[in-house]
Amino acid sequence: MSEVEETLKRIQSHRGVQGTIVVNSEGIPIRTTLDNSTTVQYAGLIHQLAQKARSTVRELDPQNDLTFLRIRSKKNEIMCAPGNEYILLVIQTPDAS
Amino acid sequence: MADRKAELERKKARLEQMRRERQEKVRQKASPAEGGDDTKSKPQKDLRSETDDLLRNLGIPEASTVQTVVTKSPSGGEEVVHTVKTSSRSKVKLSLCKVNETSIAPREQVSYSKETQTLNAEPVDKDGSSQQGSPRFGSPKFSHPNLEWDDEFFDDDDDDEVLVYDDPQRSDDEADTDSMDQGVDSLPSGMPQVKMVDPAKTAEDLVKKEEPPVVRELTEEEKELILNDPEFNTFISKTSRIMERALAENYDILIDYSGGDGENKEDDLLAGERLKLNRTFYDERWSRHRTVTSLDWSIQHPELLVASYNVNEDAPHDPDGIALIWNNKFKKTTPEYVFHCQSALMSTCFAKFHPNLVVGGTYSGQIVLWDNRVNKRTPIQRTPLSAAAHTHPVYCVNVVGTQNAHNLISVSTDGKMCSWSLDMLSQPQDSMELQHKQSKAVAVTSFCFLSGDVNNFVVGAEDCTVYTACRHGSKAGINEAFDGHQGPITAIDAHSVPGQIDFSPYFLTSSFDWTIKLWSIKDQKYIHSFEDNSDYVYGVEWSPIHPALFASVDGNGRLDLWHLNNETEVPTASTVIDGNVALNTCRWHQSGHHISVGDDMGKIHIYDVGEHLANPKSGEWSKFVHTIQELKQHAAEREDDSNLALR
Repeated sequence: MSEVEETLKRIQSHRGVQGTIVVNSEGIPIRTTLDNSTTVQYAGLIHQLAQKARSTVRELDPQNDLTFLRIRSKKNEIMCAPGNEYILLVIQTPDAS
Repeated sequence: MADRKAELERKKARLEQMRRERQEKVRQKASPAEGGDDTKSKPQKDLRSETDDLLRNLGIPEASTVQTVVTKSPSGGEEVVHTVKTSSRSKVKLSLCKVNETSIAPREQVSYSKETQTLNAEPVDKDGSSQQGSPRFGSPKFSHPNLEWDDEFFDDDDDDEVLVYDDPQRSDDEADTDSMDQGVDSLPSGMPQVKMVDPAKTAEDLVKKEEPPVVRELTEEEKELILNDPEFNTFISKTSRIMERALAENYDILIDYSGGDGENKEDDLLAGERLKLNRTFYDERWSRHRTVTSLDWSIQHPELLVASYNVNEDAPHDPDGIALIWNNKFKKTTPEYVFHCQSALMSTCFAKFHPNLVVGGTYSGQIVLWDNRVNKRTPIQRTPLSAAAHTHPVYCVNVVGTQNAHNLISVSTDGKMCSWSLDMLSQPQDSMELQHKQSKAVAVTSFCFLSGDVNNFVVGAEDCTVYTACRHGSKAGINEAFDGHQGPITAIDAHSVPGQIDFSPYFLTSSFDWTIKLWSIKDQKYIHSFEDNSDYVYGVEWSPIHPALFASVDGNGRLDLWHLNNETEVPTASTVIDGNVALNTCRWHQSGHHISVGDDMGKIHIYDVGEHLANPKSGEWSKFVHTIQELKQHAAEREDDSNLALR
């Protein structure tokens, strides 16, 4: 378990990372570094989006599957790595250097 | 009533008469025919009578009567009867045949509604099973798969969608594909119906109904359980690896090389990002309490910076003049090379075409030369302290020319300008007294050659005047004097940015009078005066890459960047060095992205200039032309005003 914590901490300490969230298949956050309301908001919204993205990929080609989802916005970047049952979300502010 | 009866009887009589007449005619016809062709007519007659008998038996009226009926109402349709009658003369062979009753299903008119025709997108449940959604509407093929020819009658009875036989006794053998009756009859609705297509229900609508029940918190125990799950561990290790790779990638995919968005970005960025302190060079042993008198970047090794230092009053036993070569590439905090000399160094520069040589001009008038190949800290060459060379502090040293034909030029504050060959510093190649208007020697504090020119240069003097001069030719010596400053000139720099438009006539001067002035060598009066400083301005320099950008340093510790196309009244970027120091000198890096400033405490600060500020856009040159024209206009107006005021 501590390895998990360590890994999450390492990701969190990366340059520009605002928050890290682990969400299960129902959209409920398991581990988070942000405050509760933000976490719940992110978890719910991104979970739905990831499901939709996954179903899109699958529909286009049933043998295909979603591996990584990256949303780049003006202010930050949301990266979502889905697994079979969980989803790892990281919110990062990219520095333009 | 009686009339009618009479009429009827009359008509009957007439009919009888007509009948008799016709019969007579027929007989008449028959008799000559008989006479002519006995053999044929006889069998014909017999045949006829036979057929008549036959027909009579069947209950069909005689042909003759039929004929009259026919003649009475001749119509196209009755012609058929004619033919029937005639064909009945020949012997017709008739046989029994089975009548095939076939009923063909009417062609199905498939009609589509104008609404969406997509089938329902089946949302995948959590356990992966697809929902048994609403029946599929659409083409009849889906609605009634029963109508497949082959499968139809051989399906298992397990399926719901199989045919329901009305007659259970019928075996499969009798399943005759010829007879389609059962197919049609077995459909519950009779003929296949085409129903309207409902609009597609997307997953969104369905999900919305599911929303309210979700959002329940996991208890701590559940979380612990999940965290201890090995599958969770593998998930984390796998995805964290991917995530870290993604995090490390920091390319800006949105970068716009056309520079169109540059204006928007500038508003967002803070001034602090335009000038950012990169590092500080300071050596405890050698640069303490010494004022940095000059800086120069190497051309062959862009990371090397040479700095000359003044005397350290606190350490009388240390050499008076120190020159240190710093390396910007590495993080080490000590200089690469340390050079000494006996007298305080006023100016220094790298020998442009000799990467190993460093030139220094001292307070005593000596010019010294160091070589970093030799393991000595003292100069390898020195100029003599004689009247042939300089006897006054040399504030200006510079190597001008080309690789094969270059000279070291030095000017001292007694107006003497000497040109030397770097191989031999024992005596100058050429020397000249810079005098203005009959023997008024010019005390030169700074000088600069015009861009690309080895002959013409401008000098700033202690008497607040700027002079243009030539080295060779008929006009050798001081040519023109520009008045304008009210204090001794500390620094002078000529524009040297290459570009479509040549700005080489323009130069900047800074002086003790708190101002920086922009001049053109073609005009005696300055074009513009920058008056934002509140202390002596000690240094000014144009950017090597940007035509409208220059930097200045003053005694308040302020480093200013002026972007003339943006703003000519105040600097575009400005920062104050903390520590209450005065900045004595500044020097742009040849890339145009760094500035080095030296202060009076012996520290050298390297600043990074924000790229959007340092890099010129393609329109900067033409914009600068406009800017200068505007400034000239203002200058002219000012002149007129002052003339008017004087009167």
